[in-house]
Amino acid sequence: MSLEKQQWGTRLGVILAVSGSAVGLGNFLRFPSQAAANGGGAFMIPYLCALLFLGIPIGWAEWTMGRYGGRKGFHSAPSVLGVIGRGRIARYLGVIGVLIPLAVSFYYTYIESWCLGYCWQFVTGGIGIDPGSSIPDQTATASRFYDNFTGREHNGVLAGGSYATMTFWMITFGVNILLVYRGISKGIEKFCSYAMPAMAVCAVIVLIRVLTLGTPDPSKPDQNVINGLGYMWNPNLKALGNAETWLAAAGQIFFSLSVGFGVIINYASYMRKKDDVVLSGLTASATNELFEVGFGGLITLTAAFVFLGVSGTIAATSANIPFGLGFNTLPVVFAQMGSIGNIIGAIWFFMLFLAAITSSISMYQPSLAFFQEALGWTRKQATTLMVSICVVGSFLVMYYSRGSIFWGAIDNWVGTFLIFVLAMVQIICFSWIFGIDRGWKEAHQGAHIRIPSFYKFVMKYVAPLYLLIVFVAFSIQNLPQWVQGVMDEPLQQGALTLVLAVIGLLIVCTWIGERRWRAASLDLDGREAPAGEGAEQ
Amino acid sequence: MSPLGWVFLIVSLGFVWGLTLWCYYKVLTMKEPPPRELEEFHST
Repeated sequence: MSLEKQQWGTRLGVILAVSGSAVGLGNFLRFPSQAAANGGGAFMIPYLCALLFLGIPIGWAEWTMGRYGGRKGFHSAPSVLGVIGRGRIARYLGVIGVLIPLAVSFYYTYIESWCLGYCWQFVTGGIGIDPGSSIPDQTATASRFYDNFTGREHNGVLAGGSYATMTFWMITFGVNILLVYRGISKGIEKFCSYAMPAMAVCAVIVLIRVLTLGTPDPSKPDQNVINGLGYMWNPNLKALGNAETWLAAAGQIFFSLSVGFGVIINYASYMRKKDDVVLSGLTASATNELFEVGFGGLITLTAAFVFLGVSGTIAATSANIPFGLGFNTLPVVFAQMGSIGNIIGAIWFFMLFLAAITSSISMYQPSLAFFQEALGWTRKQATTLMVSICVVGSFLVMYYSRGSIFWGAIDNWVGTFLIFVLAMVQIICFSWIFGIDRGWKEAHQGAHIRIPSFYKFVMKYVAPLYLLIVFVAFSIQNLPQWVQGVMDEPLQQGALTLVLAVIGLLIVCTWIGERRWRAASLDLDGREAPAGEGAEQ
Repeated sequence: MSPLGWVFLIVSLGFVWGLTLWCYYKVLTMKEPPPRELEEFHST
């Protein structure tokens, strides 16, 4: 294959890029809601179990598979899983690893543009909330702005008159494509090495402001920071006996770490054969946890509680509005902060924008790499195809914006259901087909720390079983409702048609790639060991 | 905030901060591998 050789510039660069991919809106907005609704502080027990026995081991497997595939000249999930899973079945299942990031990007960039738009609004004076009015009036103002800006009320953000949304989406999408087009080292790595520290600085500023709020309204002494922290962290140990708590914790870890997403395999494929994957994988997971627990667990609900009290916070977290806590509730909170409120609001939404863009750039790279290696195209040609698909997908998402039904269906079936499927495929390919002993040796090539030996057992038995139980429980809990939704709602049927069209295209590309790779005498079925395999360090 | 709430908060924060700092300490203090050109030169 005559593809330009790409690689990461530094070890820290790849870690920050993978961390950036994992840290997203869910760290700040989904985690605190999940924890508060599922036992508060007690949620951390199943959460840490899922981290140690599901998230980190599957992550290590993905890093190892990606680097191994990269040594054979492959950079996308279909080709890498074809090598690891030794054949066509794994290769075609690997199409899911290109589909997930590509299809999720259709709506993720749209949500990302909300962050940029809200940031701009706060820089230029806020979203029109009058702090002198009653809290219900302020919430209604925030909701109106949200509905108008996101096109939630009617189909078509343009039809709703919100040209601003379209403008911010074009800026966001353009920046994403520019960064990805610049390549792994000059684009993604360089950007993440600035964006991640900047995100941490923004998070620290907002955290300090929230933790120093004290008791802003002396007439409501119960609404203070300590009680706000208590709302999130006071444990309800009875929740540990509830299967839903364990399911929610596993789901949160799973989606938060970006395992089973198709990104880590792609990113790790640009590593050199003696680059460490064990410490790098652990560091990326730890960074994600720092943002999720260390910042997300302290900022969001505490701020909401201090100004809105118990009932307002419960209403904010239980409302069925996508990321409503961040876009609907927190603007009301910022309005109560006085003159500094708009500054804190701008920093908050800029931080969310950084969290989102470091994730979204990772969603474009896998399909770009796939089109290049499957079709033998140049970066420019592959970028053109990818941009065309994304523009069609994103325009459909923005046109059919009513009630988030269209993109909600893509999120359910691709961004949730297929992630479980891909993670299952990956851990089975790694532990059972490639072989845990071989995988273990491969993981430790160039490793700077050793994985505790009991993780061999975890990766072979515990993680697949844990994943299977969570997957089955999740399916029982959600699938009947989702299937019914597709049967009843034409917008959901349209979304799935779009997904099926993309799957069809990816399968055709894989078929073409398969013929090209065979013609080029590449070891696409993983029959030969690459030079230096098994030389454990 | 109950005493047990403080325990969960402090232990959780201690865990994530401790793990992250330890990881970055290890990453930043270990030797970078040689650049690819040098690696390829040695392997030939």
